[in-house]
Amino acid sequence: MTAILEACIFATVMGGFFGIILKKNLMMKIISMDVMSTGVIACYVLVASHRGLFTPILETSEQSAESVAYADPVPQAVILTAIVIGFSIQALMLVGVMKLARDNPTLEISEIERSNTP
Amino acid sequence: MMMLTIAWIALPLLVGFSIYLLPKIDRYLAMGVVLVSVGYGLTLLQRSEAITLRLLDSFGVTLFADSLSGYFILGNALVTAAVLLYCWGQAKSAFFFTQITVLHGCVNADFICADFISLYVALEVIGIAAFLLIAYPRTDRSIWVGLRYLFVSNTAMLFYLIGAVLVYQSNGSFTYEGLQQAPTEAIALILLGLLTKGGIFVSGLWLPLTHSEAETPVSAMLSGAVVNAGIYPLVRYALLFEDLLLILQLFSVATAFLGVVYAIFEKDTKRVLASSTISQLGFVLAAPTAAGFYALSHGLAKAALFLVAGNLPSRNFQELRQSSIPFPMWGVLAAAGLSLSGFPLLAGFGAKALTLKSLPPWQSIGLTIAATGTAIAFARFIFLPTRGFLESDKKMSSGFWLACLLLVGGLIVANSFSLESYTLPNIFKSLLIIAAGWSIYSLVIRRLKIELPRGAEQFENLIGAMSLILVLLFGVGLV
Repeated sequence: MTAILEACIFATVMGGFFGIILKKNLMMKIISMDVMSTGVIACYVLVASHRGLFTPILETSEQSAESVAYADPVPQAVILTAIVIGFSIQALMLVGVMKLARDNPTLEISEIERSNTP
Repeated sequence: MMMLTIAWIALPLLVGFSIYLLPKIDRYLAMGVVLVSVGYGLTLLQRSEAITLRLLDSFGVTLFADSLSGYFILGNALVTAAVLLYCWGQAKSAFFFTQITVLHGCVNADFICADFISLYVALEVIGIAAFLLIAYPRTDRSIWVGLRYLFVSNTAMLFYLIGAVLVYQSNGSFTYEGLQQAPTEAIALILLGLLTKGGIFVSGLWLPLTHSEAETPVSAMLSGAVVNAGIYPLVRYALLFEDLLLILQLFSVATAFLGVVYAIFEKDTKRVLASSTISQLGFVLAAPTAAGFYALSHGLAKAALFLVAGNLPSRNFQELRQSSIPFPMWGVLAAAGLSLSGFPLLAGFGAKALTLKSLPPWQSIGLTIAATGTAIAFARFIFLPTRGFLESDKKMSSGFWLACLLLVGGLIVANSFSLESYTLPNIFKSLLIIAAGWSIYSLVIRRLKIELPRGAEQFENLIGAMSLILVLLFGVGLV
């Protein structure tokens, strides 16, 4: 099962990466980057679930802590930071694209590059 | 010292956002933060033992500061101070000074991080702050250049994140030490992220356009301080792990050559400087023990060069050769250019001598050739025609001259860190390199008219180059 999930994550990351290279439209490139970062987030969640799937909240009344297969909270906490950073970068980029769209309505990267490179 | 370190890390962020509330004293607040950093950097250089901080437990934030971090922090602080002096009299908004302060703080944080996730956060915030500074003029071109920078750096950091989780998977912790037991693919992914962010070899080709098209003070800040943020972790890994040292040395020589070839054949002053940054980063990476001092001397010289180049009447060498530049500005150009070429009496001499001292022969020969190339590239600045100071030149603000004075003064004072390298063979060697560079320039290069293709700098090729470097790193790792 883990192997299938890993393959799916790999496919998502690679799909996003090739989208960044192959898509002609700047907007689509940014969305491809989002796909790639979704893959990275999934990778962290998968690593966190290696030891178990239970939400890591300790409940003393029912069972002792050792017998429950808790998920590892550290990668989840870390990826939460990364999600926030990724989302703010995405927002910044979209604002930049909005500004660029006024003079380059098609948002084709070759056009933008030609008119803005010395 | 522990509380001091934490307070020092938090201060730029706190003050940076306070600048918004107190826009009247923005310049003073920003300068205050920078002065604290100068003090902290000097303290680190004076201490003999390193500071290790482990906040919470093995899952928490790990910080590590020693004299290597001290050099990087001092360089960052001096460059930021010069940029602030330069902008002091200009009509920049509080937003600009907020971003400068936040950027300064995050670069500092990068220099004392010792775990992958703190480093990730620092690098990403550096990317955001640098983007906002590049896009500050709000023109289409500046927005595109900034967007391109942010896109490349964010894609590289996504690869880095995958590498970081693979390190965690094999160690149960994110600290740098975990790289030892990490699988090859984790090392390759992490190195790819840092090489791209630090502007090394082919993955650093985003750098010439970004650094040359940014505004003058922002170029100085990016080339003098911010690129070091990607180099410092690499130097740290090279010191920690013998196995990585060889790979990084290969990259350092390749970068030194690539950058210097671009620098020799460019026609535009700011692009020459940006290309030479790539080559100098190779020198920083070459010898981990001397990296701090080299980064300091390069940062000071490059910031001074960018500040002057931004105020010359033209950016084209052809036009500059026909007109002439005021003598004091030429003086700053010459001092900084000579320092980067390794001329005695300036910090660049000691830095080059320390770097070349402890290298294997193949690397030493490669870097000496690259150093000759650097002398060729800067001969074009040094041989520009000069004239006296005219009445029309008085428009240069006093902030500009103070900034240049600080940077060139820093280059002279920093000599005291490397007095032991003033031996007769070293002096002879450096003078020989410069003489060779200058004669090659005046005999050959000056007459050549070669245009280097810029296709590799297109956005899609920059992203594509990442996959090639990844395959290369993976291949080298397996061998």
